[in-house]
Amino acid sequence: MVNIMPGDHVTDCHVLVIGSGGAGCRAALEASRYGETVLLSRTLTGKGGCTIMAEGGYNAVLNEEDSTTLHFEDTMRGGGYLNDPALAKVLVTESPDRFRDLTAWGSVFDVEHDCVPAQRPFGGQRFCRTCYAGDRSGHEMIQTLTEQIRNTDIRQVQETSAIDFLMDGKRVAGAITLDRDGHLGAITADATVVATGGATRCYDISTNCAAGTGDGFALGYRAGATLIDMEMVQFHPTGAVYPPDSRGRLITEAVRGEGGVLKNSLGERFMERYDPERMELSTRDVVARSIATEILEGRGTEHGGVYLDVTHLSAEEIERRLPIMLDQFLHFGVDIRIQPMEVAPTAHHLMGGLKITPDTATTLPGLFACGEVTGGVHGANRLGGNALADTQVFGKRAGEAAGKSPKISLSVDVDAVLAIEAARCDAYCNGTTPPHEILRDLTRVMWDHAGIFRTKTGLQEAEATVSRLQMLIPKAANRRMLNECCTVTNMLTVARLIIQGALLREESRGAHVRTDITQSWTAENSPFGHTVQSLFGTTIEDRRRDA
Amino acid sequence: MKPITFTIERFDPETDAAPHVETYTVDVNEGARVLHALHAVREQCDPSLTYRYCCMTGQCGSCSVRVDGEPVLACMHEAYDGMRVAPLNLPVERDLAVEMKSYLKDLAGITPSAFTGYLTSEANEEIRPIRDCIECLACVSECPALAVADFTGPLSMRQEMRIALDPRDERNRAALTVKDGLFTCTTCQRCLEVCPKHIAIPGKAIEKLREIAHREGLTLPKHQTVADMVRATGRSVDRIMPTVLEQVPEVIEPVGEVRGEVGFFVGCMYNGRLPDTALKMLAVLRRNGIRVIIPPEQVCCGSPLIRTGQTEFVRELKRINIGCFVDRGIDTVITTCAGCGSTLKNDYDTPFRVLDINELLEEYGIETPVSSSVPMTYHDPCHLRRGQHVTEEPRTLLRKLTDDFREMPARCCGAGGGVRSGQPDVAADLGRERRDAIAKTGAEMVVTSCPFCEFHISEHADVPVVNIITLLFEAYEKMDEASGEDSGWKDIPCRDSE
Repeated sequence: MVNIMPGDHVTDCHVLVIGSGGAGCRAALEASRYGETVLLSRTLTGKGGCTIMAEGGYNAVLNEEDSTTLHFEDTMRGGGYLNDPALAKVLVTESPDRFRDLTAWGSVFDVEHDCVPAQRPFGGQRFCRTCYAGDRSGHEMIQTLTEQIRNTDIRQVQETSAIDFLMDGKRVAGAITLDRDGHLGAITADATVVATGGATRCYDISTNCAAGTGDGFALGYRAGATLIDMEMVQFHPTGAVYPPDSRGRLITEAVRGEGGVLKNSLGERFMERYDPERMELSTRDVVARSIATEILEGRGTEHGGVYLDVTHLSAEEIERRLPIMLDQFLHFGVDIRIQPMEVAPTAHHLMGGLKITPDTATTLPGLFACGEVTGGVHGANRLGGNALADTQVFGKRAGEAAGKSPKISLSVDVDAVLAIEAARCDAYCNGTTPPHEILRDLTRVMWDHAGIFRTKTGLQEAEATVSRLQMLIPKAANRRMLNECCTVTNMLTVARLIIQGALLREESRGAHVRTDITQSWTAENSPFGHTVQSLFGTTIEDRRRDA
Repeated sequence: MKPITFTIERFDPETDAAPHVETYTVDVNEGARVLHALHAVREQCDPSLTYRYCCMTGQCGSCSVRVDGEPVLACMHEAYDGMRVAPLNLPVERDLAVEMKSYLKDLAGITPSAFTGYLTSEANEEIRPIRDCIECLACVSECPALAVADFTGPLSMRQEMRIALDPRDERNRAALTVKDGLFTCTTCQRCLEVCPKHIAIPGKAIEKLREIAHREGLTLPKHQTVADMVRATGRSVDRIMPTVLEQVPEVIEPVGEVRGEVGFFVGCMYNGRLPDTALKMLAVLRRNGIRVIIPPEQVCCGSPLIRTGQTEFVRELKRINIGCFVDRGIDTVITTCAGCGSTLKNDYDTPFRVLDINELLEEYGIETPVSSSVPMTYHDPCHLRRGQHVTEEPRTLLRKLTDDFREMPARCCGAGGGVRSGQPDVAADLGRERRDAIAKTGAEMVVTSCPFCEFHISEHADVPVVNIITLLFEAYEKMDEASGEDSGWKDIPCRDSE
């Protein structure tokens, strides 16, 4: 039998926040103003999540010549008009205030002149709107947020995973937890905020940190929540290609923002063929497809990428504006001051996710969501710099909404739920297949058939593979591996949602490309709305019919 | 894929009485990092291996481990055949996972307030260099003072400095940092050496916090005494014997052909406490064809003031010291004191080149000395190893002086940063640790190249401590004895004979 931690295995609080990336930290800070808040993290607080590794920046309208209307239009156009306009509106409207919050809490973003934040150009935007701290912008945010969390009495439960929501009837009333040693527990809460981030670890080549496994999507799905647009996976145009184990490591868009040019093996600046107007600073979906096409058509480099070159910039500019890029490449024997980088697309961000209202309410009572685990803010393609803004804008809203939630009294028998989870863990202990073997097959088939270019046949093949893998029981060699087994199970669930969404959406739009379909419409006048998936069914919205 | 064989220090508190080393052979890709080798062990050998990691891009600071004794980020450091992987020097939770939470939970943050505007460029530039910290705890795990004293450590001092620099937080925390052990740091720079982000904590945080503490009147009395003496006499030690500058002429010509010309910055310790060592060094240069110019008006380099935050009249010291060499048209100045050398190289902006004596001898080449068979070890002075990155030159020389050279780990002896005078207990604890490390090598003599280390280790070690240049001097003497020849190289002219 798997141990249920004796004694204090059940903790109660007003708000439970799951995930300590940018969104979770922001939500916890806000929620703590209303009552006892627990910040649950599968890593050490602040060390998990993708915010800390985010490089490029934070989009905010701060200049008088810029406007939130412009930012809204850029976001909608970049998103293939699939964004929920109400969410996009909230994003662009509140992003400046949340940036000022970070400043008031001590963040040190670069300034251009005295007391004026520096802003750099980013893809798909008509204004230099991306605030930054060199190329460690997300790290600066997490530093600021964790400093503030240490200032509060937020209770940090670290290196412990949420493996399921605790359901009190149809209401989410906290979470079932599993710590590093394999001990089960429960945290009960009046309101729960899920801020577990993205899931592109489902792909063989990904920028995500080890925690980018999509647990929040899977937990929500199992609990009956509605998810939208799960097929919308952003492939970042520029990931590392060498050495093999470092494939996919993010090469920030700031490299192009600072003037980096893309060239193929023939030395051609090939973006001229794909988007002569915006060139390297086209939207990510366009640049990623352009690079992938160059490589597929045989104009790639030795290691299967294209060149990204900043050698025309001065060494000093590179050292100051791109210090992490410089340092990382030096570790791999490339000096970007004098040598071009080799890059290729890499799975980066999930635009789809839990369906939320502007107040971050999911379709489940008691459950709020913010950050990458949600869908609708970014539509079919996210603009660089909008994710960090998303974490703060909706993190704050989620913390506030959860904080204001009324107290509830539980009618669920927590011990009975724990007994069921213990049985699930026992099954893993008697499992059949090491988790890493399941993952190897999963990530390859997702890259091959649910990647940048998709077809119905390929997607069906991927679905068949996922079905086969879901028949296997991941094996925990010891109880400390139980977390890994839960994670793999979650990743299979998320992969299936991505594939099903991709099959449902019979059009090319934003990051989602179906090469087996010819269409007569543009994104703006597409007949389709969101793909919608839940335990209770799947569908794609028909704009004409729904109108 | 290629196979590599390496070791991991394993420990499971539930089953093991003590850590033990296991050897693994796994297949890894070309260019694999340490982290990928650990993944390979988990997948190919033992799924129970425990270690932390997350971002895999060197930004989250979760995966620090030691490889061959040096802290690295496992996700960035390339794996290699024969490497030895061990946890950081912190309490081990299991295998490579160490206790981190307790070191992070109390780090101070800015007092939150309403938004009042963005930083000035100046404030931004000031805070920036210490803002890159990823809280990987490499510095904490290697700090010698933290290990023996009541010191919250380099990470927390860096964070305090970050607050001190921030105009948005007006709290005065100087007294707090003093209570937290600000004056126990020996400024050995080990924290900088192991920092994956190259943050200069001693220079950018410790010494700056000490400046603030000084302005608040919190300077330790012993440090105040030193500053008073420098102000009154230009020297950080009092006169108890004839000094070097009192004895030697301004120019010392070599015996034989002139192969080079350098200025000599004597430094307070050699000038006033160890003049014989300095004179022997001058004789060695004389024998090797180097003309030495010694401006008599030179004063203390300011190191004892800078390390302790008493920087008000350092500018004046710099002016005198730079001026006296510039006036004589000297383009290379040598130091024999590691502390002076580090100060001239790092805290001064000199129009001339500064070389440590070990570098100079390597550059010009020396008459090969006779070797001995005495087992010797070498203590790296912090201000030479980390302050000046001089590590190989003294070893090359020492290998010419003994057939039996034995390495020991490079750790601070406790003499630096004003700790020997201000916090003698802490200095003594570190000195005793050195004694044990020396004893472990079995060496019969410990050689070093810094007057502070020499003095301090002598008080604790069971074997003689010898300056490396003195050792070279003695080797030449032996050669003369054997051959019966003497070119007169030891006869340094007296100041009076000019």
